[in-house]
Amino acid sequence: METRVAGVPEDEESGLLPRPSAAGRRPSSRGPRLPHPPATWATVDGPLGLPLEDAEGHARRFFLWGFACLPFLWAINCCYFWPVLRSSAASSPSAFAPIRPYVVRSAIGFTIFSVVLITWATTFIVGGEQLFGPVWNDLVMYNVADKLGITGFMG
Amino acid sequence: MADAAAAAAVPGDAPAGTTVLDSLGEDITRIVYPVSACMLLVVLLVSLLSSPSSPSPLSASIAAATGGVSGGGDDDIPTALITALTFVVAVTAATFLLALLFYLRCTPCLRAYLGFSALAVLLVLGGQVALLLLSRLRFPLDAVSFALLLPNAAGALALAALAPASVPIALHQAALVAVAVLTAFWFTLLPEWTTWALLVAMAIYDLAAVLLPGGPLRVLLELAIQRNEEIPALVYEARPVDPRHGRNWRLWREGTQPGADLDARSTVEVIGEVLGRNLDANSGNSSSSHDNEADGDVSNSRPRVTLVAAFSSSDSTVAQAGEVSALPEHRVAVAEMSVPLIQPRPQRSGEEAVEDEDGIGLSSSGAIKLGLGDFIFYSVLVGRAAMYDYMTVYACYLAIIAGLGITLLLLAFFRKALPALPVSIALGVVFYVLTRTLLEEFVVQCSTNLLMF
Repeated sequence: METRVAGVPEDEESGLLPRPSAAGRRPSSRGPRLPHPPATWATVDGPLGLPLEDAEGHARRFFLWGFACLPFLWAINCCYFWPVLRSSAASSPSAFAPIRPYVVRSAIGFTIFSVVLITWATTFIVGGEQLFGPVWNDLVMYNVADKLGITGFMG
Repeated sequence: MADAAAAAAVPGDAPAGTTVLDSLGEDITRIVYPVSACMLLVVLLVSLLSSPSSPSPLSASIAAATGGVSGGGDDDIPTALITALTFVVAVTAATFLLALLFYLRCTPCLRAYLGFSALAVLLVLGGQVALLLLSRLRFPLDAVSFALLLPNAAGALALAALAPASVPIALHQAALVAVAVLTAFWFTLLPEWTTWALLVAMAIYDLAAVLLPGGPLRVLLELAIQRNEEIPALVYEARPVDPRHGRNWRLWREGTQPGADLDARSTVEVIGEVLGRNLDANSGNSSSSHDNEADGDVSNSRPRVTLVAAFSSSDSTVAQAGEVSALPEHRVAVAEMSVPLIQPRPQRSGEEAVEDEDGIGLSSSGAIKLGLGDFIFYSVLVGRAAMYDYMTVYACYLAIIAGLGITLLLLAFFRKALPALPVSIALGVVFYVLTRTLLEEFVVQCSTNLLMF
């Protein structure tokens, strides 16, 4: 590795000029400047997020807990590991390989959940009483709330 | 030591291409945005949902509980003062209880309590607000979807608020703002005089509790400093401007260049240093000898650090990784206190408790931290102003932001943990009164005489 400043003969000027420290082996580092970080941050927060070694356990935990009727955990998983999701399977760095299956499955699970929910809600809203009959009035949330009296205490 | 050398070379050490001003504005902006967003949401909710003609059942039962004067939402000053005083006493007692629990190292208790209160606020208050919105807007959502979505959303947001390491930072911050918005909206339902009395009382309490030697918040702060521990609490932390403060970067850098000094510094630290370099000269020598991994050691850290104390858990893990150099951005920060609010109405006592924080400071990554209690009370003030007219909203908003700016300046001057409520609430109340009495008269007269609109 080149450790001397280009164009400066090593033996004559070695004591006179400030030298980039030997620890900075990347060609872009010089003096007190830090080298550029690796571009493989697994989380959407980059250097502020989870380190790689914790990421796999985290992805798996969120994926498994999502099955307990908590599909928003799947959504959080997808958002948090967005760089993992976006990089295609062929070109993703090897560090992403253990995380990727969990994130992809979380994405699939959340998509299925949201499609089902939106379909049902849209049918309910658009269909109205014509489709459902008098049951519609019993299912609409504001009627249910009035009946149960739970909007009472806030006025 | 290398640390002292790096410190002495501060003026020339700014990274090329950015100056102090670039990151200074960014730091302050990143705390003003969420405060403004919280206030905006509360104003929106109040405008949509409040019906000032009918007194809310809340005010009626408060009047009844305090030996109420007249039926219906008629509030008067003695009732308001009594309610505010009761509230402050309850908050003081609760804070002392928290300090006791912290002293006895019952951290799981505190965490469970935090979790329970965040979940309760999001589930109960959030559900109420959602139902009110659905009723007011006549949006025909069905009960099944609602029952599915509400616990889900509440659980996800509570998780995001309590475990910042497992969720994107944006979601964590949004969850904290959501908790603040819901609590503030609930507070605006109190009758008018009670709200104002409560705000003034909380501002005075904040001032006393943080600055007086016997105050509960100060006791809690000193305890946390002594022990180098983090108080489990709900505190809003702005995203650090320089990503090199992140834990990942530090760990990665540890792997490649052990012992290297970090030349990036937080802006407030630089302000502090520029302002107080003379003060630092004496204490800088003593602190340079402590270059071990005591990155939580307040008493030995540089004075410019004393703005805030809060240990983040990430710092303790880095310390265990054996970091040698005393990085300048490690500071002891004491997380602000958690102040549970107990409802003034006796029949609901104990049902709800909300965590909020008082005080402002710097976190270990150099970003500004603001307690959630400050968010809540600022928003309560603006929400109550919104119940009168939008003119008062603008005036109070500007007053509060100005107060926040003044508090940040004082933070840089005094280098201590400071209460963030008093200045802003004082300015807000003064401007509300002035607007209602003087400005409104002026604007109405001008408009009716077609002088200006």
